[in-house]
Amino acid sequence: MRVQEGINSMAGADQFPIGMRVLAVDDDPVCLKLLENLLLRCQYHVTTTNQAVEALKLLRENKDRFDLVISDVIMPDMDGFKLLELVGLEMDLPVIMLSGNGGTENVMKGITHGACDYLLKPVRLEELKNIWQHVVRRKFRHRERNTNLSTEDPEFDKLPNSNPSHAQGQHGQNSSSDNSGRYSKKRKDQNEPEEEDGEDNGYDNEEPDPSAQKKPRVVWSVELHRKFVAAVNQLGIDKAVPKRILELMNVEKLTRENVASHLQKYRLYLKRLSAVASQQASLAAAFGARDPSSYLRMGMFEGLQSYHPLASSSQIPSSLTSFQATGGPLLNRSNPATLGLPGLSPSLSNNSLSSNPLNELNKFQLVNLPGNSYHANLLHDQLPSELSFSNVTNNALLPQTSQDCMQPRQSAVAATSFHAKPITFENRCLTKAENQSLEIPSSSNDIFLGRDIKCQSSIFNEESKLLSFGGASQNNTKLQWRQDDLHESTLLLSSYLDSQLPNNSCNTMADPVTIAATGSGMVQGLNGGVFNQREGVATSGIIGSSISGLTAMTNHDSQLKQREEYNLGVQKVQGGYGSNGCSMDGLLNSVIKMERDDISYSDGDIGCDLYPLGACM
Amino acid sequence: MDYVHLRRQAASLRKGLFDQGYLDEQFYQLEDLQDDASPNFVEEVVTLFFRDSARLMANIDQALDKCVKDFNKLDVYMQQLKGSCTSIGASRMKTECTAFRECCRDENIEGCMRSFQKIKREHSVLRQKLESYFQLLRQAGPVECATRPNK
Repeated sequence: MRVQEGINSMAGADQFPIGMRVLAVDDDPVCLKLLENLLLRCQYHVTTTNQAVEALKLLRENKDRFDLVISDVIMPDMDGFKLLELVGLEMDLPVIMLSGNGGTENVMKGITHGACDYLLKPVRLEELKNIWQHVVRRKFRHRERNTNLSTEDPEFDKLPNSNPSHAQGQHGQNSSSDNSGRYSKKRKDQNEPEEEDGEDNGYDNEEPDPSAQKKPRVVWSVELHRKFVAAVNQLGIDKAVPKRILELMNVEKLTRENVASHLQKYRLYLKRLSAVASQQASLAAAFGARDPSSYLRMGMFEGLQSYHPLASSSQIPSSLTSFQATGGPLLNRSNPATLGLPGLSPSLSNNSLSSNPLNELNKFQLVNLPGNSYHANLLHDQLPSELSFSNVTNNALLPQTSQDCMQPRQSAVAATSFHAKPITFENRCLTKAENQSLEIPSSSNDIFLGRDIKCQSSIFNEESKLLSFGGASQNNTKLQWRQDDLHESTLLLSSYLDSQLPNNSCNTMADPVTIAATGSGMVQGLNGGVFNQREGVATSGIIGSSISGLTAMTNHDSQLKQREEYNLGVQKVQGGYGSNGCSMDGLLNSVIKMERDDISYSDGDIGCDLYPLGACM
Repeated sequence: MDYVHLRRQAASLRKGLFDQGYLDEQFYQLEDLQDDASPNFVEEVVTLFFRDSARLMANIDQALDKCVKDFNKLDVYMQQLKGSCTSIGASRMKTECTAFRECCRDENIEGCMRSFQKIKREHSVLRQKLESYFQLLRQAGPVECATRPNK
């Protein structure tokens, strides 16, 4: 039965939440009628249907027709969870589940499939009166992302100067300036199949090309970096002098100075990696039980936590600094396993990250996905192969106590944040946290990372689990790599999307992991470090590298390629960057390694669709 | 006065339903939703309920008759029925539905059948009472809604 929508849908827009357009789906006519009336009482605009198939049809007809979907879990023609996934995936609308069964498992299932809320029958009016928050939350996230995108100059990279706007906790409360305008636009964008490009105002897709950059900077793309690293290795790290490197690289328009500065960063990066590596080893020892990977994971978190804004390195965008808190290897932190996720998640969740950008990290959960062959690769040797950052969405990190946690607890966010924009990590970030980080791209902070992340996620996820950067529905969007069953993917990056990353778009990877960065979030999680857009994410370097592989998937092929190369190059570096970066780096490295082998440049797909694999239909 | 009397009767019938546990707070919600825009909301929902539940119960009957002992299926049906009961506040029925589901879990077919008989009884009793109630309300006059004071 379908009730015709009589009210002009536009009317509600101004008086939100009045007039919010809800689609209610329930096979039980009694419940449906009751629900309908309750919603009408809340002054929403209601459309009902008792068939999931019909609901999908309605939604597909016009993606912009509804603001919110409420659906029963048990329905004869389609499983409610499946509908949930589809809606989240295709339309990026908030979906609320309704059920008579409030068992923990079911609720969990709802959350992992992307529901932004789970209500028990009989539904009460008071509960329905608040459901509009989910719509707003999502829009804020989008808006932020949008804003970030727009306010940034072409370079994704967060230049310190350009970052301020972003850096300010845009979290959620975004500078409202263009919000409203963007708001609706954003929604539309969101609704459109974003897969292809970071839709958010084409932030990442369009990608500021180097020429649009403010300063002429060399973009240390993956390829470029790869060449660089190859040259360095050929010469021997000790003997590598810029001039010779330049000769070996044989790249036009690259100056000795470029190489020199890049080399300097690289050296620092290596140093940091080795420091991290050793630390990790010790941590691992300390932790005992878990396999190294778990430690690493933990370390990651820890490290992340301790990330403080990188103040020291000017180059590093603010975000990076966060990684680097102390500039020491991540492991330095009190928390041993920075890398390790599971264990740390709790700590992370507690905002251990002091640094602002890193706060998001808290949310990171590195989840070690077992079984992931990549694990090993990820961290190179030191880090556990699996690093999965699973970002716990919405609510504080759900501490993932153990590797088992891998499954993203991700809340709906993940699911819902499909559109995540490609995650952009600034290349810069890589470089350094304090000097340790290797600044990969000296010039552009292109979304290198962002894209990379995407790639990465795919890399991580062999099985293409869904990485959803989902920003949490809340403001702090987090990137969360959600994998339905992470097993494979080693790295779940749950980056906390916060306003930091301008566009964290999660690109859905063709295969594996689609990172959906939602909202402002940054894909901080990715690297374990925080990707602050602005701040050169130190880790991003790592991630970048790994991501490069991933980025292949992203839209900008060329850039991606470069990244990839970069990644590969970076791969060698182990450990993370300094504080944060290190662990991430390691991870990334490993990831990159993995990626290297099968980086699939699947374009198109990636468009940030984070999609839980499970959700994929 | 006749109306007053009828209304009093209706009110007392209603109270009885609550006191005896046939209905619970959820029914208040239904009544709350009744307003000028939907003046017969409660009755509509209740009618819908009885119609739908009759259908579900027929399905269950059939399933039980076949003696196939497909407990999963029975459970699914019962879950749906229970959901409906919950939505309108049919408390006794709901309790019995829960009992039925437990029997399903225990794979106790006799238990299921006994339980189902009870459900049918409750269903029919509730139906009778509510029908009387609504009839009284109608007779008592269109002015007054079930529980609302005169507007």
